[in-house]
This record gives sequence, C-alpha cells and structure tokens, in this order.
Amino acid sequence: MIAGRAAGPRALLGLYRAQFAVHLAAQMQYRVMLAIWLIGLVLQPLMYLVVWATVARSQGGEAGGFTAGQFAAYFLVLMVVNQLTFTWVTEVTEYRVREGEFSPLLLRPVHPIHADLAENLTYKLLTLTLTLPIALLLGVSFGADFSPPVWAVAAFVPALGLAVALRFVADWLVALLAFWVTRMTAINQTYSVLTIFLTGQIAPLSLFPEPVRVVAAVLPFRWMVAFPVELLLGRLSARETLVGFGAQAVWLVVLVAVLPWAWRAGVRRYSAVGA
Amino acid sequence: MSRLRLVGVFLRLGVLNELQYRANFWIQLIRSLVNLATALAGLGVVFSQATTLDGWRQDELLALVGVYFLVGAGVNLVFLPSMSQFIGDVRKGTLDYVLTKPEDAQLLVSIRRVDIWRLIDVAMGFGVNGVALARLGSDLGPGRAAAFGLTLLAGGAIVYSFLLALATTAFWFVRVENILVVFQSMYVAGRWPVGIYPPWLRGTLTFVVPIAFAITVPASALVGRLDWPTLVGTVVLAAAMLAFSRWFWSVGVRHYSGASA
Amino acid sequence: MISPLATRVPTAPDPTLRGAATRDATISVRGLRKTYAVPEREAGAVAAVRSLVRRTTREVPAVADVGFAIAPGEVVGFLGPNGAGKTTTLKVLAGLLHPSAGEVTVLGHVPWRRDRAYLAQITLVMGQRNQLHWDIPVGDSFVLNRAIYRIPERQYRETVDELVDLLGLEELLPKPVRNLSLGERMKCELAAALLHRPRVLFLDEPTLGLDVSAQRRIRAFVAEYNRRHEATVLLTSHYMADVEALCQRVIVIHRGRLLYDGDLTGLVARFAPDKTVVVELAGDAAPELDLAAYGEVVRRDGGQVAFRVPKAAAAAVVGRLLAELPVVDLTVEDPPVEDIIERVFREGGAQGDVASPPDGAAAREPSDGAVAVPAGVSR
Repeated sequence: MIAGRAAGPRALLGLYRAQFAVHLAAQMQYRVMLAIWLIGLVLQPLMYLVVWATVARSQGGEAGGFTAGQFAAYFLVLMVVNQLTFTWVTEVTEYRVREGEFSPLLLRPVHPIHADLAENLTYKLLTLTLTLPIALLLGVSFGADFSPPVWAVAAFVPALGLAVALRFVADWLVALLAFWVTRMTAINQTYSVLTIFLTGQIAPLSLFPEPVRVVAAVLPFRWMVAFPVELLLGRLSARETLVGFGAQAVWLVVLVAVLPWAWRAGVRRYSAVGA
Repeated sequence: MSRLRLVGVFLRLGVLNELQYRANFWIQLIRSLVNLATALAGLGVVFSQATTLDGWRQDELLALVGVYFLVGAGVNLVFLPSMSQFIGDVRKGTLDYVLTKPEDAQLLVSIRRVDIWRLIDVAMGFGVNGVALARLGSDLGPGRAAAFGLTLLAGGAIVYSFLLALATTAFWFVRVENILVVFQSMYVAGRWPVGIYPPWLRGTLTFVVPIAFAITVPASALVGRLDWPTLVGTVVLAAAMLAFSRWFWSVGVRHYSGASA
Repeated sequence: MISPLATRVPTAPDPTLRGAATRDATISVRGLRKTYAVPEREAGAVAAVRSLVRRTTREVPAVADVGFAIAPGEVVGFLGPNGAGKTTTLKVLAGLLHPSAGEVTVLGHVPWRRDRAYLAQITLVMGQRNQLHWDIPVGDSFVLNRAIYRIPERQYRETVDELVDLLGLEELLPKPVRNLSLGERMKCELAAALLHRPRVLFLDEPTLGLDVSAQRRIRAFVAEYNRRHEATVLLTSHYMADVEALCQRVIVIHRGRLLYDGDLTGLVARFAPDKTVVVELAGDAAPELDLAAYGEVVRRDGGQVAFRVPKAAAAAVVGRLLAELPVVDLTVEDPPVEDIIERVFREGGAQGDVASPPDGAAAREPSDGAVAVPAGVSR
C-alpha cells in the first residue's frame, strides 16, 4: 500500500506544520463545539472529585489515604492529564469506515496516523489554554492540596509525553478493529468504559482491591493516565517511578511494533472487502 | 394514532435488521455487562470507604444505578442513534429528505434509528432496581410505583430534550458528530445523586445539564425519598424542557431553510 | 453522443398554454430572490484567531430575480453551470429554503410553509445523495416511506408492482442498499421517492455518475412516469442527453438570473449565430482550393471540410459551394447543444451583473471541511 511508505523526516515536519495550521483554523471555526466538548471533559473528573471529597469529609477528613484536598488535587491533575492524553481516534475511525471516507486517506502518500496525530496535538494545545485555567479555578474553589516536589515535576514531563504517545497508539490499534468488525460502537464503548475505570478516573487506583490494580498495571491502562498523575502528586517512590517509566517504555515499544503489522493487515482486509 | 404506528414500523424494522447480525448480540451483552460491572465496582469502592454518601445508603444508590441504566437504555435505544443519523444528515445534506416528508420532522428525526441491543440495558436496569428494592426490604406501594413511573417518564423527557437541543446545534455548526460523545460523557454525571454537588454545580446539573437531576428524582421516588415539591417541580421542568427543545428545534429548522437570514 | 439539432423534430410547447400558465400553473415563481450571508475569513492562523472575536459576513446573492411558470404535466429542464442557482431554486420549490424575496406557489401551496398536504404531493430526488438507508434492504425503506406517507395498503401494492415492473427492481428489493451498484441504487431511490405518487417531481441530477445505459433507463422511466401520471417534472442535469430526451422546455439560469426560457430549438436559434456546413469533396481537389473564401474552416479531414458560417449567410454559402466545388455530399448542422449551452454561459457571464456566489454557497460538490458553508445550502 502506498500509504505505508515512509516519508522523510523533513517532509513529515512540513506536513505537521501544515496540518497544524489547517486544524487550528478548522477548530477555531468549531469553537462552540470545542466549548461543549470541554464541558464533558471537565464534568466527569469534577463529579468524582465531589464524590470522593464528600466521602473523605464524611470519614473525618480522610479516606483511603487521601484528604478531601488531596482528592481535589488528584482529580484536577487527572482532568488535565486526561485531556492531554485523550483521543477520539476510535470514534473517528469507526465513522470513516462506516461512511466510506477511509479510501481517500489510503490514497495519500503519507500514513494517515500523522494527520490524526497532528490534529490531536493541535486540539490538545488549543484546549489546554482552557483546561488549565479551569483546573486552577476549581483547585482554588475546592481547596486542592497540591504541592508537588520539584523532582516529581521534572519527572512528570517525560511521563506525560510517554502517556500521550502510549494512549494515542493504543487507541489507534483499537480503532483498527473497525476494519474487521462492522459495528464498532459497542467495542468502542466497552473500551472507553474500561479505560475510564482502569486509568484511575473513577477513583485513585490505590483505593481499588488488589486484582483490579494488577489488571490496570499489567495492561497499559495505568500507564496511560494514572501514572503521571500519581507521579506529579508525589505519591510514588523513586522505585515505583522507575518501574512506571519502564512499563511505559515497554508497552510503547510493543504497541508501536504491532502497529504497522496490524495496519497492513487491516488495509488488506479493507481492500478485500472493497468497502 | 398513525404516529404510534410509525414508531412501530421503525421499531419492527430495527429488530428485523439487527437479528441478521446475531454475533453482535454477544458483543453487546459484553458491553452491557462491563458497563454494569464498572458501575457497581465504582459504587463498591466508594462504600468500602464510607457507609453513606450525602445521606444515601449503598442499596439506595444501587437503585440510582438502576435508574441510570434504565433512562440511559431508553435514550440509547432510539434517541441517540437517531440523533447521530440526524447530525450526519445535516452534514451530508440528506436532511432535505426528512424535511420534504409530510410528517413532523422532529418526530422523524427522533425515532428513525433503533439500537435494539439496548433492551439488554433496560432489562439490567429493572434487574438492578429489583435487587435494590429487595435489599432495602421495602415494598413498592402503588403510590410510590406511580410516582416512580411518572418521574421516570419526566426524567426521560428531560434527557431527551437536552439531547435534542444539543443535536439541534448541528444546524449552525454543521460538524458536531462529537457532540453525542459529549452527551455520553455528560450523562455519566447522573451516576451520583445530584445532592452531593456544591450548590453552584447542583444548579448547573439541574438546569443546564439536567441529567443528574433527571436520574436522581426517579431514584428518590423508588426508594421513598421523594417529596411533593420535587415531584411537581420535575414534571414542570420536563414540560418546560420539552417545550424549549421543540422551540429550539423549530428555530434550527428555520435557520436551516434561511428563514431567519 | 449528442445528436445535432438538425435531425431533431422541434417540439415547442404551445405558447398559449405557457401564457395561461401563470394562472393555472402547477409551479409559479415570480421575482424569486435568495441571498446568503457567508462568513468571510482569510486563510491563516492569525485570521483564524481574529475570527474568534469577530466574524464578518458577506451577502451573496444565489438567485437574483427569477420568474417562470410551469403547466401541469410539463417536463422542464433546468440548466446552468455550477453555482448558477439551480439547486437553490429547486430547494425553494421543494420547501427547503425560505426565499429572501419573491412569490412562489406550487400546486397552490407556498412551499416553505411545508404543509403536510403539500409535501404529500411532491418528491425530491438528489442524484448525489441517498435517502435510502445504507444498511437495510430496499424493501424495508419502501415500507418506511409507506408508513411516513400513510399510503393505503392497496395503493401501495399497486404502486410497488408498477415501479418494480417499470424499473426492473424485483431482485433488488431484499438487498441492502450498500450492496447495490450506483445505477441500481438510483433506480431504487427513484422508486422510493415515487411510492406516494407525487404530482410534482424535483429531480436534481438524477443521472449523475451513471453509465450511459443506466442513464437511458432512468430517462425512459421518468418519461413513462410523466406520461402515465401526468406528473410535472422539473429536472436539473449536467447531461444534455437527459434534457434533450425528456424536456420540451428548458430554463437556463446563470449567476442567479434567468437567461432563457423556451424550447430547445429556440435556444439554439437564439444563441447559435452560426451553422456548421460540412462538405465532402470529390477526389483530392481539396488541397489546392482556397477554402477560406467560403467561411471559417473549423475542421479538415482529407476530402471532408467543415465550415463555420453565420446563420444568415448559410444559404448563400451552400449555393456557392455546390456551384463552385466538386461536392459529393453536403450537410448543414446546428452546433451541438452542449456547445451552445457553453456559449450561453460564457456570454451570459460576460453580461452578468450579479456577483457569482463563492464555491461554498452553491457548489454541489460535498466539501468535507464545510468551513464557509451557510446553513441550508447544499453541502
């Protein structure tokens, strides 16, 4: 397939710059959409913040090793990290395959993942200008207890970068199932529910019973969102931090290795069906 | 009457067509089970740390989860897939076919697609409610059952109106496919009683994104926590939301046809 | 593909009928005007950010001043280049667009009020857009339309039988639409659109993208439907063959204005000032002769020469050619209708004083970003 051919790094850079400009312009056009979208992104962490702060207060100020203020900090950092790692690749791919809009992408001399990544990054940078102030505002109003150690802040940046990459690649792999399964909605929803549950968006993973924690850590879920959040809040020891980076790196290498293979198989399948 | 028949035709065809994809049943069943399992696990984690949440006991919140599933299933059964198609139609220009039909366009747009697998969620919702009631050891008298039925309908109407209003924005912003994903993430706010939120947020979740409210009220009715003012208020809010969304829809159609330009 | 007009029997509509049409017309349009407010923004990130704060819009006329009347049972071709305002006009007639000004009645109704009684009598088919649901069998879509239009059982049976017979749909009914070829799909689209036996048909590019035999099939069907049910048909098409085969009358609009309304022959007479004279010369006499003396030589192929001659001079030139040259064969032709239409648009464009709408406003290509598309316009 032509789309599989690698483009030179300079050509790719040019592509990203062009994509950035296009998506920036496009998303500006849909700014109301963006605002509505933000409500959704903010609402869920906010809801669990309230639930857990209520629990902590009802238990005399502390539950599961978190005070109300620490819960607030956890869910607000989570809100930002989730927004930065989030993708809508699965929904978009399902939509493209269903509506027959995938074929034009295959004709381009560049792998479609680059366009998706560029759009995703544009979107994140754009919305970050909104989520950060919102998180700060909510942090003040809910009395978030946020005082990260300096080393944690330094380690957070690469952990976040790896989490963004990991979640993006994982989402893209799940999205590729659309080539085989005609009705992806149910699979996408299941994946999304599992992601919310296992990345620590309902409660910090440490509050869950052992089996759930093991599943979240053995699968890539914990490393896509929860790890950088816990890291920034200074809740991880040096050893746990190193294990985390190791897990992120291993999963990223594995998924990136699988990706081209899955992509080729998917495209072959797609062409065979002739959708 | 003939409108009811129209709904029937859509439903029947939806069932007939889905039955061709029987493998889909298992995927859908797994999805519903995972959904329920994570909801119950979330509940379990909270109550592993506390005995009540804002005055709600665990089994009362179980009833809330049941209602959450019921209303969600109802919305996902017809309204969400139909709105998804509507948004696609606006983008592709095929909405013109709906608007040239001699039938109320809002009705057509709201019921055109049926995702019958959501009946699994309906069954689960009733199941969870049954379990919750049994564990609470309280029996559902006719008065409470009526209040539950009424508020459940009102809650459904509120959620439907909200969804319709969101989808109607497609008339102005064209590319709003994601708005339904947003709706789903907003719907999650209904998983907890609206009373736990701080006042400003409670107001938002009652009047701006009224989903939590729409689910808390029937759950309250079911477990016998509902008072008269809330019952009346909910019915009034439902009527107001229905009227508003219908008005907003007609403004959207007028905008689409350039009447307001 | 296009037959020269010389070989075609002109079928001019009765002028008295058209004169009376304003009163008893099925479709009556007077002073129709439609302008869109189109958001304007320059390219680039800076402009994008600026547009966040303030959005500038520009008034773009899509239809400037159009009027016509169509009698019951007429089949009228609606011609014009992309962006001429055809689709806009069609949408106004179908009740989808609210005009900025003008009076329109169809079957005695004001279309954009969208009365149930009105909508039950019309239909709209757009060649590039499907109404049939992708995943469900064609027959099921018919059942849905039956329910929506509340068609009585008996009438429904009869109509389906008739349409299945006319279009050869028998084997297509149980298939999901996604498994149909483009031509099959269009046949099914037409059938679904006609189940309620509409009295007025708005067909927007019904043969777009179809192969020649499928086009012919659709054409024959529309003609047959028109004959059987005396339905009024207003059709746009890029294929002149459609128009030539179906329409006694054409309405040409360009840049939102009416350029021509009448029969095809009249269009040729009015917009083709030249005739093409083709002569076949004996032997190899041709090379030495001074052919330019007879007219502009447009083609020269061995013994065969084609001249373009002003219409008024055609008879004289033919006489001279026959008298002075060793002519074996001679034909006089009108240029192909397509050429004439092109000329009409070129000349009309030169005179046009209405601003052309931007691509987004009336172009029919689906634009995927849809950045500057005003609501209600074809996307």
